[in-house]
Amino acid sequence: MITRVEVVARLGPGGRTVLPVVRASGQLAVRRTGPASVHLVATAFGPLGGDDAEIRLVVEEGARLGVHSVAAAVALPARQGGAPSVQRVHATVAGTLVLAPEPTVVAARAHHRAELTAELAAGATLAATDHVLLGRSGEEPGRWTGTTRVEQAGRPLLHTTVALGPGAPGWLPPVAPRAWAATVSVGARLPVATGQDAVRLPLEGGWSATAWGSELHRVVQALEALGGAGEEVA
Amino acid sequence: MTAALLTLADSRLPAGGHTHSGGVEQAIAAGYVTDPRSLAAFLLRRLQTAGSVAAGLAAAGARPDADLALLDAEADARTPSPALQAASRQQGRGLVRVGRRAWPSPVWDALPRAPHHPVAMGVAASAGGLSPRDAAAAAAYLSISGPATAAQRLLAMDPLTVAAVTARLSPEVDAVAARAADEAAAGRLPADTDPLLDLLAEVHTVRSDRYFAS
Repeated sequence: MITRVEVVARLGPGGRTVLPVVRASGQLAVRRTGPASVHLVATAFGPLGGDDAEIRLVVEEGARLGVHSVAAAVALPARQGGAPSVQRVHATVAGTLVLAPEPTVVAARAHHRAELTAELAAGATLAATDHVLLGRSGEEPGRWTGTTRVEQAGRPLLHTTVALGPGAPGWLPPVAPRAWAATVSVGARLPVATGQDAVRLPLEGGWSATAWGSELHRVVQALEALGGAGEEVA
Repeated sequence: MTAALLTLADSRLPAGGHTHSGGVEQAIAAGYVTDPRSLAAFLLRRLQTAGSVAAGLAAAGARPDADLALLDAEADARTPSPALQAASRQQGRGLVRVGRRAWPSPVWDALPRAPHHPVAMGVAASAGGLSPRDAAAAAAYLSISGPATAAQRLLAMDPLTVAAVTARLSPEVDAVAARAADEAAAGRLPADTDPLLDLLAEVHTVRSDRYFAS
């Protein structure tokens, strides 16, 4: 199934953000849940292997946008063939964007690809978090591949592809975690910090942090201990 | 293939690579690498993440149309760990020093100062008359050969065993190099990352009792 979402956040009268474009088709609906926040609502099971979702976000100068989801997404395998499900988020940000969806659970035999491309203007701020769990309870892990590319004023700040799950490069015992959480934040630089199976790295004008382990709630706690969470704008 | 490729991938080329363990020293300290089997797993994950990125950058850097400053910025974006950035630039500087003497060419002048190692590797390959695929092969091979030697020294492992571990990864090295060269030819750069290597590098760099620079 093809899913398309588009949200534009603009600075309105009195300094408030308005959302002149809120549009969705396919498997996701968009609900306005605050003056500058939306929640994505899944209208079908999935994504299933072969599904293609594209989410285009524009945050104009001075505007703020928070993008959340109402429930965890469970990526399921294709009925036939091994095609991955794909979700591409493309964000053009001159204001402030917070992307904080609920976790993605990748069922056994499923492969989900998540791509975030963020083009930031100078002075823009971004906080984007991914929470991933491989396999439902008692189930073999699925595969998740996440690519993050962040550019600011045309310069690449961060470009990484993390591949998790059986057969993925870099996912080999003894370090083959089922749970994973990562944040990329641009706005204020933070220095290196390390924890047990968690690391925060500085970016030019920002930072990225990653934590991994066997249980998602512990991994999220480890990420938050690195200063990763709680930066809600909406 | 020419002898220039063998020279470029030779651990005896005095580019300073022997002072780096590619994370192996800390992986041993953390208990991830203890024997030939766990070393092979570590080398494979390193090859398919950091090695893949290095091979892609080297292939792109060896292309005649390479924008080296842009590649260096892309290398930075793929190396968020400051410890790994420093290790890469240190080895890049070392390679430029020996490469300029070994293969004099005007292409060296287009490199930024203290470039990332794989970008310098691409230029060295180009100056030595090698192809982007050769550059990728050298970068992919070096992503595991140096760390394998480091493990041998740190764990006092049997050199024959370690040589066999490295040699058995040859098909994977070739696959990584071929894919990286194809990607570079299509204008794309691999970005595979392993945050375990970032964590090991950052924990390692603040140790006062380390043998290796990284």
